[in-house]
Amino acid sequence: MERPQKSHRSRQSGPSAKKKSDTDKKKRDLTEEKKQNPKAFAFNSTVKAKRLQSRASEKEQRRLHIPTIDRTTGEPAPYVIVVHGPPQVGKSLLIKSLVKHYTKHNIPDVRGPLTIVSGKQRRLQFVECPNDINGMIDAAKFADLALLLIDGSYGFEMETFEFLNILQVHGFPKVMGVLTHLDKFKDVKKLKKTKQRLKHRFWTEIYDGAKLFYLSGLIHGKYVKREIHNLARFISVMKFHPLSWRTTHPYILVDRLEDVTAPDKVSTNKKCDRNVTLYGYLRGCNMKRGTKVHIAGVGDYNVAGVTGLADPCPLPSAAKKKGLRDKEKLFYAPMSGVGDLLYDKDAVYININDHFVQFSKVGDEDDNARKGAERDVGEVLVKSLQNTQYSVDEKLNKSFINFFSQTSNNPGKVMNGDEQDDEDHVKHKNSIEPMEEPDTVGSDEDSDGEDVDDLEEAKNPHENSTTKTFGDSPELKDNQQERARNNIEEEVEFHKGRMRRKAVFGNESKLDDQELQATDDDEEVEDDNSDEESSSYSDSSGEEEEDDLEENVGNASKWKESLVERTISRQNMNLMQLVYGQSESKPNASLREDSDAEESDDEEFFKPKGEENKKLRQGLEGDQVNTEDSSKFTNYASVRDWKDGETVESIRDRFVTGDWSKAARRGKATEVDSENDDDGPVFGEFEDLETGEKHEGDQTGEANEEPDSAAEERRLKKLALRAKFDAQYNGSESPDEADDNSHKGKDNNGQANEGGFLDKLREEAELQRQRNIAELTDLDEATRVDIEGYRTGTYLRLEIHDVPYELIEHFDPCHPILVGGIGFTEENVGYMQARFKRHRWHKKVLKTKDPIIVSIGWRRYQTLPIYAIEDLNGRHRMLKYTPEHMHCLAMFWGPLAPPNTGVVAVQNLSNTQASFRITATAVILEFNHAAKIVKKIKLVGEPCKIYKKTALIKKMFTSDLEVARFEGASIRTVSGIRGQVKKAGKIELGNKPKKNGGQPEDGIARCTFEDKILMSDIVFLRAWTQVDVPCFYNPLTTALQARGETWRGVRTVGELRREYNLRVPDNKDSHYKPIERPLKKFNPVIVPKSLQSALPFRSKPKDTKSKKDGRAVVAEPHERDVHKLLQHLQLIRHNKMKQQKLKKQEKKKKHDTEKAKEEVVNKKRQREERRERYRTQDKLQKKMRRD
Amino acid sequence: CEGLRQKEYLQFRPPLLCSNIEIGGRRRREEEMGKISYMKLKGSQNLRQRLLLSTLSSTPILIEDIRADATWPGLLPHEVSFLRLLETVSDDCHVEINETGTKLKYKPGIVMGGKHLEHDCGLSRSIGYFLEPLIVLGLFGKKSLSIRLKGITNDSKDPSVDTFRSTTLPLLKRFGVPSEGLELKIESRGVAPKGGGEVILSVPIVHNSLKAVTWTDEGMVKRIRGISFSTRVSVQFENTMIHAARGIFNRLLPDVHIFTDHKAGAQAGKYVFLKPISPGYGISLVAETTSGCFLSVDTTISYARGNDEMDIDEKKELMPPEDVGEQIASLLLGEIEQGGVVDSTHQGLLFILCALCPQDVSKVRVGKLVPYGIETLRNIRDFLGVKFVIKPEPATGTVELKCIGCGLKNLSRKLS
Repeated sequence: MERPQKSHRSRQSGPSAKKKSDTDKKKRDLTEEKKQNPKAFAFNSTVKAKRLQSRASEKEQRRLHIPTIDRTTGEPAPYVIVVHGPPQVGKSLLIKSLVKHYTKHNIPDVRGPLTIVSGKQRRLQFVECPNDINGMIDAAKFADLALLLIDGSYGFEMETFEFLNILQVHGFPKVMGVLTHLDKFKDVKKLKKTKQRLKHRFWTEIYDGAKLFYLSGLIHGKYVKREIHNLARFISVMKFHPLSWRTTHPYILVDRLEDVTAPDKVSTNKKCDRNVTLYGYLRGCNMKRGTKVHIAGVGDYNVAGVTGLADPCPLPSAAKKKGLRDKEKLFYAPMSGVGDLLYDKDAVYININDHFVQFSKVGDEDDNARKGAERDVGEVLVKSLQNTQYSVDEKLNKSFINFFSQTSNNPGKVMNGDEQDDEDHVKHKNSIEPMEEPDTVGSDEDSDGEDVDDLEEAKNPHENSTTKTFGDSPELKDNQQERARNNIEEEVEFHKGRMRRKAVFGNESKLDDQELQATDDDEEVEDDNSDEESSSYSDSSGEEEEDDLEENVGNASKWKESLVERTISRQNMNLMQLVYGQSESKPNASLREDSDAEESDDEEFFKPKGEENKKLRQGLEGDQVNTEDSSKFTNYASVRDWKDGETVESIRDRFVTGDWSKAARRGKATEVDSENDDDGPVFGEFEDLETGEKHEGDQTGEANEEPDSAAEERRLKKLALRAKFDAQYNGSESPDEADDNSHKGKDNNGQANEGGFLDKLREEAELQRQRNIAELTDLDEATRVDIEGYRTGTYLRLEIHDVPYELIEHFDPCHPILVGGIGFTEENVGYMQARFKRHRWHKKVLKTKDPIIVSIGWRRYQTLPIYAIEDLNGRHRMLKYTPEHMHCLAMFWGPLAPPNTGVVAVQNLSNTQASFRITATAVILEFNHAAKIVKKIKLVGEPCKIYKKTALIKKMFTSDLEVARFEGASIRTVSGIRGQVKKAGKIELGNKPKKNGGQPEDGIARCTFEDKILMSDIVFLRAWTQVDVPCFYNPLTTALQARGETWRGVRTVGELRREYNLRVPDNKDSHYKPIERPLKKFNPVIVPKSLQSALPFRSKPKDTKSKKDGRAVVAEPHERDVHKLLQHLQLIRHNKMKQQKLKKQEKKKKHDTEKAKEEVVNKKRQREERRERYRTQDKLQKKMRRD
Repeated sequence: CEGLRQKEYLQFRPPLLCSNIEIGGRRRREEEMGKISYMKLKGSQNLRQRLLLSTLSSTPILIEDIRADATWPGLLPHEVSFLRLLETVSDDCHVEINETGTKLKYKPGIVMGGKHLEHDCGLSRSIGYFLEPLIVLGLFGKKSLSIRLKGITNDSKDPSVDTFRSTTLPLLKRFGVPSEGLELKIESRGVAPKGGGEVILSVPIVHNSLKAVTWTDEGMVKRIRGISFSTRVSVQFENTMIHAARGIFNRLLPDVHIFTDHKAGAQAGKYVFLKPISPGYGISLVAETTSGCFLSVDTTISYARGNDEMDIDEKKELMPPEDVGEQIASLLLGEIEQGGVVDSTHQGLLFILCALCPQDVSKVRVGKLVPYGIETLRNIRDFLGVKFVIKPEPATGTVELKCIGCGLKNLSRKLS
């Protein structure tokens, strides 16, 4: 058949060709596999199979992790996304683009952390990583996700790798690479190749398949919208796994910093220590009140005050809808000047740009920005307000109108001038607000406030005076009341300066509700209350009823007063307060209070034990502190007569012989029917203590519920809820389990046993988590904070006192401040041992005792490490330098860090260094209070007297005492004769000082050897001596200096030498010289004659005379002639031969030169020939190809 | 009596002052630089607990006014002995006591543990006094601890060694302490006044941290066990005690076994002039419940310490064994009546263990809070910053306590 068309030519390049080749390859792969010899890959060795299987399972095991209990509750803090990269790579632009994408806002510049709400469940905080190594180290510690920006047109830069190494040491958060500047490539192929190359390099550094994102270029000075959208999507689905250091330490990335030092203090001395407040989301784990913190680059500080503030950037409410409304796309970045409203503990700041505010007085120093409240319409009004010298309530006071009945009681209202200055910003309050307060509430809460005793107020006058604007507002009193109950409350504090509070906070409004109800509703409530009280607390009920009677008779206000009073008195009675006392700050104070409380209850609760206790009761105040320390509490006095039938019956049910059902009920009694339970006289004495607590618990619960419906209904509902919860609780595990199982099924099949164990662990962890959540839900906010500390995700305000002024002066929002909590023992200093390895990219080995800067935990400090290696026998031997490609041990002094903490070491902090700055990485093994590192030492001595096998050795030791220390030590001569130190030698024997008339020499040791040694022998003793690790560490205070400046600490010896132009000391003895060994001349052996005669003949020296000195030979004249002739002939022959040889050499030389010449010519010709041949060949080929 | 006190005083004081007053170069420097901030406390109360918690939380403490106004001011011999014990088991801990002994500075070191340690507990308190803090301390050491303690094994003031074996060690296991290596071996017994008992305590270390517990079900008593002992007196004493105790239990529970442990010869304490000088007898009872709780009581009858050796015969009569048996049985029933998962003696230990757990909720139920337990709660708050939610349950007369542990980890352990 003939085909008219020309045959199809497949495409050689372009996408379709590529596609084709791919499929082709696939096909070929398949076929290739089929082509393989099937027998070659068949199962033929059980051993090998077993090995393979075990290897596979081992690999599987490595992937498994022990499940950790997730202890975070509530909303997670915003995830921190650190954008890192070398300068000029587009970091800020990326943040701007992302922010624009999320919030539709353009931000002018990126300074400090930017918080945004990115989704219904997720908030993000963008931080730009500063370019110096200190900033990078800090950023690595708080990053949840690191975006590594890489200039595609340039390739990787050292910063990226440095940052990766730092990240790896500090827990390795998620990492995503972003390639920018890809529009610089004109050639598509080159671009693709570069992408490929960079991707693979990135993969080797992190893991195969690590995400590398490409941003193709700029459009109108912004990244392409679509790509940013994709990037945002990647970020939004990212999962963050917990990192062990961070889940055990609370930390805060400061997104706002205020200097709250008294202005007069600053004006008198500009360099005075400052008080600062730091704001940020709490991350990591819960933070308790007493926690010490480390501010990175500054130092350790005690927190003077912690308060939880309202979230400035809250997640949207959980209404069911898709996506975010525009209103909910919140955005908070105080350091960048975004976010108009700033909340503080006691004030709200409204941020208005300076150019909007024209009417404020020029003289107003520091609160220009904060002051403006109205537009220029009210300018005059504002000015007049500014001129007023007294606040509204002060005026009210002066006018003798008792607006609030109890105002004069409050001493806190009196203010002093300085504080007024300090708190000026609170003044911008709207004066209408107090009027808005409903009267009922006002009066009600007034009575509330009244109950707060004056003492309490006197205790914190400062607290009162800070809120001077409306010092007597109900809120304040409310607050104080709260305070009296030991709870400084976030909501309350937020509200102290603001008036509208009910709208926002559940807790507070609940309280209000409760109180409102209490006032609005009548006896019914009261009856209910008292009913319950009487039912649960039999002995307090009588008093209650009396109260009730009184209340019913008396007028309304009095009635309310006593009600509130009683609530408070009851609350004071609760068991927790009995144990922990009222004020928690000072242990001493609390002890005294407690002892009071105890005494009052002694009669019922604590029975006298013995004489000690009696004495104790007499002089309780003084002697309480010296009671006997015994855990045994035998109450002989209360021993009852158990022979009595009735008493025995009373505990019958506590034994297995008793009624099981009753006993079972006993356990549940409190939960199910606490109201109905009437406990017998057995627990009579117990009651007194408990009443208070129980009251509180019940009352808060009931007061809310009672008014609208019956108690019975409520209880049933509660039970139903509980059941539902229980079901959910059990159910919640099973889906998780199922999920895990399926995961596991994918991961490791055939590892059922191990998986089961892991499942059990997972289940336990989940159970514990549920328990944690369940147990703490029923607590009120204040106790909860007391018990578990501030939860993660809370927006915290930390007040820190006496910070160096440099922190404020050199504060740069582009360098985020990290505040980390310090655990137990971490503030102590000591020796630490680390497994240490020099980074393979660092050029030099490290020298012992040369300073390095390490970053451990939250800290960065300079220290002097000593390197060592562990010998086989467990000895730690000092190394002068770190080994080339091995781990070694490093011992250094510094603040302790728990074992397993990663360490990164740097030697040079400067930004100008071209090479890799990470010096080494390490992991802490243990800490110790004594560093046991030894180095080898050789004590050298020489014999001064030799007996048979004993010798006296001098110059090895300096004193007899030293000899005594080394008794029994093994020694050796250079020639290898081993010996032992015995005792200090007797001096007379050694060098006979008495004869010489000198001082007796000290430190001569008598030693024995395995053979006789020579006087010329050198004896040495090998020993180990302790090396001291220098007790030095120098915290890096980089936040206290200008950020551009390089921090300088201790310099290395090399640096010092360079700086002072000193030469390296040169010890001549240390030089290596060629060894000269002069031939030793031994004297001839002289055998004494007596010995000679005794020897057998064979060994006797023979009298062998040499034949040389035989007789002279006198030749005959003829003989002499012959001899002469022979000599002549020989001489002639010699000469002849010599001449012939010379001639031959000359000839050869000539021949060689000729040959060389010929060779050159030959080569030339050959090359020509070859060239010609190739040329023709090439031509031929080309021709053929063309054809 | 006072004469002897004086003697004891002299016996114990001088070596103490010699070894402890000196300050090492480094420490002095630190102190001058004001690096160490001491937590200031007052009075001699709860010294053991304070030292224990201070060591665990590595907070240096400064205690002032230790019996400043007492006739015999300052630390007592057993307290000094306890400080010595701390020095034995830990590394670089630093104790400084002023001349009168009324002021104590303590800077904790690292708990090392180790094998073949030995400590003489002296005769002013029994071994139980030292065991209580030591077992907790041992858990957080670098190596597992094995120590021989010498002194008085049974005493009426402190829990006896039998109670430790039967009740305290199972309590620890609840918190995830490995059971292998946790034991108390009684080599010989000795009672007051002259002691001579020896026990070997071995405590394993926890590898990471303890485990939080939820332990609120006290269950029902299913069996009562006990051990009685006698040293230098007739076996008949024990039998009488046991008989009396059983008499009371018999109406409630058939499963009662009380073992006897009659010690003689070298195993029963010291001889002086070939005469046994510390005769005594005692009994320790433990009730085990269906949920695995152990409630225990114990007592020991012996001559009071502080009397001269010579006038043994003139001493007042000891309590007769029948009365002892009845009394101790009644006490046990009293403990059972109170409810709670531990007896009143172990409240303090329970609270400490709860507070040392990881940051999870621990929930326990105890009977009435005893003063020692309350003091423990306060100390825990001061040192570890852990507060308990204390909720009484009037229906059962018990108290339910909840806390979130401080998350203490065994930091001194070496990473392998």
